Amino acid sequence: MNIEYLVIVIVIMSLATFATRLPPFVLFSGREKHPLLQFVAKYTPPMVMTILVIYMLKGVDFLAMEGLYAFAALAITIAFHLWKRNALLSICVGTSFYMMAVQW
Amino acid sequence: MIRTVLKTTLPICFGYLPLGVAFGMLFQELGYPWYFATLMGVFIYAGAAQFMAIGLLTASAGFVEIAIATFFLNSRHLFYGLALLNSFGNWGFRKLYLIFGLTDEVYALMSTIEVPEGYDKSKFYFLMTLFSQSYWVLGCTIGAWTATQLTFNTQGMEFAATALFTVLLIEQWIKVRKPLPFVIALIASAIALLLFAQHMLLFAISLSLIMMMVLRSTNQKVRDEY
Repeated sequence: MNIEYLVIVIVIMSLATFATRLPPFVLFSGREKHPLLQFVAKYTPPMVMTILVIYMLKGVDFLAMEGLYAFAALAITIAFHLWKRNALLSICVGTSFYMMAVQW
Repeated sequence: MIRTVLKTTLPICFGYLPLGVAFGMLFQELGYPWYFATLMGVFIYAGAAQFMAIGLLTASAGFVEIAIATFFLNSRHLFYGLALLNSFGNWGFRKLYLIFGLTDEVYALMSTIEVPEGYDKSKFYFLMTLFSQSYWVLGCTIGAWTATQLTFNTQGMEFAATALFTVLLIEQWIKVRKPLPFVIALIASAIALLLFAQHMLLFAISLSLIMMMVLRSTNQKVRDEY
């Protein structure tokens, strides 16, 4: 346990993390209206969202019970969202179901 | 406004609280005072990186190695700002804080929802970021503080993040209504999982962006429709 070491690590990791979030704003400031940038701005979110969902599910073993629960919870989340279109409600129902299933 | 922002960010709370608690519990096993878990949540504010930090601290890793590892682990964030260039105005320090707090979940939410009528956009975004970070910091602190005394069973609560991204994916579909970006992302993910499962996020995001831009510059139909 070395406090000085820990403090330096925290500083380094804070700066390194910020360095990944800042560049687009520095590099492209004032060029927001460029057609290619607008194209990228419009289509990165749907692509990133698709990838994030796959990323979250890639560790799930769909042949085990856990996979069945995840599949069911996902189906419930989607169904609720298509039905009510209330993000909070869909997430709460899906997550509660999953929690009950895995803790049971 | 506070109530609306709370409601908007509550899904992030469900994801961040248990994850933060898990981090705090692991962190306190290293033997440092509990408030360093809080400080890490305040200054680093990156879930995966903080979990990685536990391993690096245990191994007494070198500073250069830590800097590089952190940068690469979070490098997908390089692309997140692209979608928000137009959304953020020249808001000075407030904007700097928004950039600092641009995590996966906050990005997902900000790039999908519209700020409701009648609210000041910069204030709304600022509170969204502040609340989200507060959930994370609170989780880290509680975890390191209470450690083994925790009685509430949070097992399975991590599904909230999956559910959040799924709901936002549906919202993106309703907004975009064109299959191409989703199909490209699926293909890129499959390739990334096959080739670079360890760095799936970064590789899939870069590849899908490249594919999308190549299609735009080579295919007239894509250029017209997208």
